[in-house]
Amino acid sequence: MKSKVYILFALLAFGSAACTDLDIPPQNIIQDKDVFNTEGGIQIYMARSYSQLPIEDFRYSPTFGFNNFWLVNPFSATTGEALSRDLTRSVTEEFNNWEASYRLIREANYFLETLPQYASNFSEAQVKNWLGEARFIRAVTYFALVKRYGGVPIVDKILNYPEQSIEELSIPRASEEAVYDFIAADLDFAYENMSESSVPGRANKYVAAAFKSRAMLFAGSIAKYNQITLFDDSQNRLCGIPESKANAYFKASYDASLLLEGKYSLYKKAWVAGDKQAQFQNYVNLFFDESSPENIFIKGYKFPETVHGYDAYNVPRQLMGGNGYSAEVNPTLNYVELFEGFPKDADGTIKTLDDNGKYILYDQTIELFADAEPRLRATVIVPGDQFKGESIEIYRGIYTGSSAGGISKLIPENSTSNYPTANIVSSPNANQTPYELPDGTKMNPAGRSGVFTADGTGAVSGFSVRKYLVPDKPTSEVLENRSDQTWIELRYAEILLNRAEAAFELNSAGQADANYLIEAFSAINAIRERAGATLLTSAADLNSIDIIRNERRKELGFENKIWWDLKRWRIIDEEQNGTLFRTLMPFYAATAGKFFFDERLDERNVRYTFDTRWYYQQIPQDQISKSQNLIQNPGY
Amino acid sequence: MKNLAYYIGLCLILFAGSSCSKEYDNYPEPKETLTGSVTDVATGNPVQTDASENGGTRIRLDELSYSDNPTPYYFFSMQDGTFNNTKIFKGTYRISVEGPFVPLVQFDESGNITIDNRKTLDVEGTTNVDFEVEPFLNVEWVGEPVYNSADSTITVNVRFTRGTANPEFQLNVTDIFLFVNPFPYVGNSNKDDRYSNQINFNGTDGNSMIGETITITTKDRLPTNRDFYLRIGARVDYGLKYYNYTEVKKITIP
Repeated sequence: MKSKVYILFALLAFGSAACTDLDIPPQNIIQDKDVFNTEGGIQIYMARSYSQLPIEDFRYSPTFGFNNFWLVNPFSATTGEALSRDLTRSVTEEFNNWEASYRLIREANYFLETLPQYASNFSEAQVKNWLGEARFIRAVTYFALVKRYGGVPIVDKILNYPEQSIEELSIPRASEEAVYDFIAADLDFAYENMSESSVPGRANKYVAAAFKSRAMLFAGSIAKYNQITLFDDSQNRLCGIPESKANAYFKASYDASLLLEGKYSLYKKAWVAGDKQAQFQNYVNLFFDESSPENIFIKGYKFPETVHGYDAYNVPRQLMGGNGYSAEVNPTLNYVELFEGFPKDADGTIKTLDDNGKYILYDQTIELFADAEPRLRATVIVPGDQFKGESIEIYRGIYTGSSAGGISKLIPENSTSNYPTANIVSSPNANQTPYELPDGTKMNPAGRSGVFTADGTGAVSGFSVRKYLVPDKPTSEVLENRSDQTWIELRYAEILLNRAEAAFELNSAGQADANYLIEAFSAINAIRERAGATLLTSAADLNSIDIIRNERRKELGFENKIWWDLKRWRIIDEEQNGTLFRTLMPFYAATAGKFFFDERLDERNVRYTFDTRWYYQQIPQDQISKSQNLIQNPGY
Repeated sequence: MKNLAYYIGLCLILFAGSSCSKEYDNYPEPKETLTGSVTDVATGNPVQTDASENGGTRIRLDELSYSDNPTPYYFFSMQDGTFNNTKIFKGTYRISVEGPFVPLVQFDESGNITIDNRKTLDVEGTTNVDFEVEPFLNVEWVGEPVYNSADSTITVNVRFTRGTANPEFQLNVTDIFLFVNPFPYVGNSNKDDRYSNQINFNGTDGNSMIGETITITTKDRLPTNRDFYLRIGARVDYGLKYYNYTEVKKITIP
């Protein structure tokens, strides 16, 4: 009897439990309604998207990829801007950016399709702004893809598996031109729908216009200079854009740059006409002033949550922090020679010898650069210049031979051989054995920041980078994951350079619907004036595209932009073909008590060769395995 | 404990036994041979190329036996422009070559195929396939290389001419390069940078050198008492910028 009661209880218990509705959304997963119902939710969604945006910033290197803390393979060491002990070759990206990009594109598409369902929670202006923002994120991501791979599959909606079949989801590559047009359409939408201003780090309509000026300039350059063709079976040109489209793209770039007129300006807060020191300081400050009117789009960092290690990896050797890194980025002499304000030979290379072919002697190494362009000194630490209140000592060794009648060149011009060991004392690393000078004082064979012959921890090129190094960061804080200066992805100077380049290209193509040459001329002069460089005297002086290109290299050096420029101009395979870059080696002549400089090819014999296939990167093989409709780029 | 050892032994026997399948494979091994060459249609000589996967002539096989859109299979020719692959599956292939010559497949502006010189054939036994192409440039030796004992360099004379009459592929000549290597494989990917010497041309400057005799001298001082292999390449600004080469010449430095 008793057992029957238990059974009844059990039945009742089961029966009542079954009345609960089990078909409910999982409580531990964030739902659309949690995200899209409040402004805070939207902000969180956007924060993630922005953090994944493919920006080549402090945490990017071509070997390790995006958002990687370890910066020992600096991008600038594969463009000819710099030499580095850890990246000693030409490289193309060695990581798979494809998959991450499409994930972000999906997130943007998801946002675009979901937000309208929740639009009633927000004002119309807010909704428009956010839709524009998602289109902006999608455009920036597509630009990151197209500049690497050429035409890529265009996905403008959410794809669903298994509702859609694999065949349906194997979307083939679109033409390169179609992708650029897609980017332009997204950015136009963003420009029309977004608000005028935004918090730093988020886009607004002018940021969209600025990106458009950049993307369209790329498209125009590809149309004009590319020589590689790849068609699929459906007449889509996956690599290359018809040359006839070049002017339309240059015009789009030019027009987009005009939209920013009056909204941003070059940073000149500390700039004083004719005062080189003030101009130098102004250019240094430009990279650290959060309220700079030049910043268009930035990526913020904040210790301890989001950090990088730019200072630790790049500080001159004598200011090395506790992790033991230093001087990864050492500007080449080729780069320094783009600037002005120091003696040069007729061929534009630095003048180190007097008329008799003997070295010119200096009391201090800084004397050679005493009158250098302020922008050069603000970008590059030249031997003997001040940084963090110290003179940065860079010299290769002590010359102990006779200096009577002048010192002749140590090795022949353009020789690749090592320096002779006779008459030269050098140091393999920072543990130096002092050398006794003729007057009895002792001196280390190399400067405190190099050049060291064995371990490469010093300034291997004779220079060290200054741009973006925090000028007042105490050495105790020069550590990995301890830096948090802001990355300026887009600044107004680039817009002026985009405008100048697009205008010059339009002018040389015979377009006359605006006074393009004058526009290019005034944009270049605005850049030069702020830099403290000599101005072009008239528009007629602007007689070569190289003037604009070199201005771009000088202004945007070490900002991870030059590689893409050299690629879109299709000149990097000529610049890097068994190429040795040049260095400037200061020596101390013991018997004369003075310094001299030797210009030479990189003594480490590091040669750079760009593989012509790299103009279009290899599409990751695993992606082709997943989607057989993807056609590989030429040569792979 | 003893039991455990028995069990382990038993497992091993089972594993070993199960691997002894009588069925080796369900498909015959690739044992067909594909040979051939890429020759200049005008002279009948093989088109010289780089011995490398970067810049060498590449043979592309599309096996049409099982799919209209197969994954292509690539291999590279030897530096004298001939090729020989003894490990090809039996089947029907569409074969094409890519290299320093007018491409076999050409498109118009809108992407329609205008010319298609690919060959489709069955590969079985030893199959030979020759391609007659128009090289971008013909690069020829003029006389023999001369060793200059005074400064231990080598001077060569060379001439290049257009290999194609098609104006679409008469593009700007960008550079001419004397390649030096201590091994018989010599070209842009196999060169000693210390001695090899390049002459770059700006814009259309190179085009005026067509047919002219050009003299190039090696850089630096060559070490003595050994052999060096020389080759000269020139290229036009097209596609992946393949070099056209002369034949290889050996020179013995006394």
